[in-house]
Amino acid sequence: MRANTQGLRWLQTTAYNVLAIGLGITAGLAVVVYAGGQIGVALSSLFLDPITLSGGIQQIFVRFVLFYTMGLGVGLALKAGLWNIGAQGQLLAGMVMVFVVYTFLAFFPWPLLYVSMILGAALGGLLWIAVPTILRVKFGANEIVVTILLNVVALNFAFYMLSGPIKSTGTALGFPITSELPPRFQIPNMPGGLPITYAVPATIAIGILLYFIVERTSFRVKANTVGESIETARYAGISIPRIMTISMLAAGALAGLAGATYMMGYRYELDIGSFSTNYGLVAIIVALVGRKHMLGIGVAAFFFAYLTIGAESMALAANVPTYVVFAMEGIMMIGVLLGNYLSKRRFAA
Amino acid sequence: MTIAISEVVIAVLSTTLQLSPFYLFAGMGEIVAEKSGVANMGLEGIMLLSLVTTFIVDYMTRNPWFAMLVAIGIAGAMGIVFAFFAIRIRLDQIALGLAIYLFGLGISFVIFNTLYPTGLTPNYVGLPPIFAGWNKVPVVGTIFLKQNIMAYLSLVAVVLTALFLGRTSLGLRVRAVGENPKAADNMGVDVNKVRFLATLFGALMFGVSGSYFAGNFVPGFQTDIIAGRGFIVLAMIYFANWKPYRTLFAALAFNMVYAAQNEYVTISGFGVASVSTLFNMLPYVLLLVLIPLFGRKAAAPKFLLKPYTKG
Repeated sequence: MRANTQGLRWLQTTAYNVLAIGLGITAGLAVVVYAGGQIGVALSSLFLDPITLSGGIQQIFVRFVLFYTMGLGVGLALKAGLWNIGAQGQLLAGMVMVFVVYTFLAFFPWPLLYVSMILGAALGGLLWIAVPTILRVKFGANEIVVTILLNVVALNFAFYMLSGPIKSTGTALGFPITSELPPRFQIPNMPGGLPITYAVPATIAIGILLYFIVERTSFRVKANTVGESIETARYAGISIPRIMTISMLAAGALAGLAGATYMMGYRYELDIGSFSTNYGLVAIIVALVGRKHMLGIGVAAFFFAYLTIGAESMALAANVPTYVVFAMEGIMMIGVLLGNYLSKRRFAA
Repeated sequence: MTIAISEVVIAVLSTTLQLSPFYLFAGMGEIVAEKSGVANMGLEGIMLLSLVTTFIVDYMTRNPWFAMLVAIGIAGAMGIVFAFFAIRIRLDQIALGLAIYLFGLGISFVIFNTLYPTGLTPNYVGLPPIFAGWNKVPVVGTIFLKQNIMAYLSLVAVVLTALFLGRTSLGLRVRAVGENPKAADNMGVDVNKVRFLATLFGALMFGVSGSYFAGNFVPGFQTDIIAGRGFIVLAMIYFANWKPYRTLFAALAFNMVYAAQNEYVTISGFGVASVSTLFNMLPYVLLLVLIPLFGRKAAAPKFLLKPYTKG
C-alpha cells in the first residue's frame, strides 16, 4: 500500500516536472514567435537539431558530462542543506588546474601526468570549496554568500592564470590562450565510431558509485537530517561538521573534475571563451529537477543537455539571442518548484 | 610621469561616491525584506530588467525621470511575482530567487535585442548632476558636485531605513515577523501581509539600483551587464549583520578598494588581462576576509527563509 502511494507520488511529480518543462518551452516558443520566427521551424530545431545536426550528439554528451558531474556535487551539498552556488567557480578552478599540472609537472611520465591532470582538477575544485567549507563549519559563515564571492574571485584568478603562468606564446584574436593539449593528453572517443568520449561512461560510473555510497547507506539519512534540521541532527548525535565537510568537499571535487573532462575531452585549450557560460546555475536546476537523487540527477542532466542544445539551435534559427534559454530555464525552475509543492500538498494529508 | 597624489585621492573618492549608491539602495531593500523573513536572491535579475527598462524608456521619451519611474514599476511587478510564490505558495526562496535571476538575465537581453537588433545602445543621457553649475569649485567640486541627486538620496535611504526599522511601529512589526512570526501573529500582526509589503519594498529598491546602474556604471546595455554585482549586495548586508549603517560602511569600503585598485591599474598601465586581474579581486577578497572576522556575531532573522502558515 505504501509503495503504491510512493509510486503514485513519483508519477505525479514526474508529470508536474514534464508540465513545468513544457511551460518553459512554450514561453521560449512565444518569444521566438514574437521576434518573428516560425513556430514549425522553431519546434523542429528545438527537438530535432540536437540529433540531426553534425556534432549535435557530441555536444549533448559534452553537456551531459558537465551537468551530471556538477549536478551531483550541487545535489550532494543540498542533501546536507547547503547551497553550493559556486559550482562555476570550482569548475574554473578545475579547468585552470588541468593546465597548471600540464605546464608545471611536465617532467612526469605520460600516464602519471595524465592521471595527475585529472586528479589535479578535482583537487582544484576541492581547494576552491574548502574556503566556504571552513568558513561555514568553523565560523558559521553562510555558504551562499561565500560561494558567490568566490565565483567572482575564481573568474579573475582564472584570467590571471591564463594571461600569465599557463599562457602559450600564441594568442586567440589578441587574447591569451593556453597551448592545445596533444592527442595523448585528450580523453579518447569510444570505439566503433561513436561521437562520445570515455568521459561519458566514466561519469555514469561515478553517478552509480555515488548512488551506492550516498543513497544506499546511512549517509543519506544523516545528510537529510542535517539538511532538514540542525537541532534534530544534534539531538540524534550526528556529527554535523563531518557531514557538512564531506558533502561540501565532494561537491567541489566533482565540479573540479567536470573541468578536467571539459578541457581534456572537448576543448583541449583554455581561452577566455571557456569561461563565458555559467554552468553553475544550470547544475542547480539539474540537481533540483533530479530531486537530489544521484541517479535522478543523471536523467535530469541528459534532459537539460538535450534541451539547451535544442533551445540554442532554435534561437539561432529564429535570430533570437541564445539568452532566451536562461529565461526558459528560469520559468522551468519555477514550474518545477510549483510541481514539487503541489505533489507534496496532495500527499500531505 | 608624476601623478599628484591629491588627484588620485579625488578620483578614488569621487568613484566611491558614484558607485556606492547602487549597493545602498538594493542593500536597504534587501535588509528590510530579509528582516521580515524573506530573502530575495533574484535581485540581480530584477535589476537587469529595470536597467534595460531605463535605457529603453529614456530612449523613447528622452525623460530620464520617467524612465526611472517605469523601471521601478517593472521591478515592483517582479517583486509581486516573487512575493506571491515565496509567501503565498511558500516555494523555496533560494531556488525561486535563482529562477527569477535566470528569467531576468535572459528576458532583459532578449527584449533589448528585439528592439535594437544592431546591438547599438541608445545614447543614455541620465540624470543631471545636482549642482551642475558648481563644477568649477576645486576639490569638493569634482568629488561631490558631479554626482546626481540619487547618490545623495542613497545616503538618506540608509538613515531612513535605520530609523524605520529601529524607531517605527511598522519597522518593529517587520522585525517581529522575521524573528518570531507566531508571536507577532498572536499579537494581531498580519504576518504575510507585512512580509509581502517588505518584499515589495525590497523589489522597488532593486528597481532604483538597476536604474542607477544606467549612466553611473555603463553607458549602454549588454548581456549580463551587472555581472554579479547585484549578488554582492547579499554579501554586504550579511557582513553588516543586517544593519543599515554597517552596510553603508561595507559599500564604501568595497567601492573605495575597487576605485583605488582601478586607479592603480590604470596608472601603472599593466595592459589588457594580466596582473591587473589580481587587483580586480581585491574588493571581493576584502569582503571574504571581513565576513569571518565580523560574521561570527552575524545573527540572521530567526525565521529567514521560513514561510509562515497561520494556525
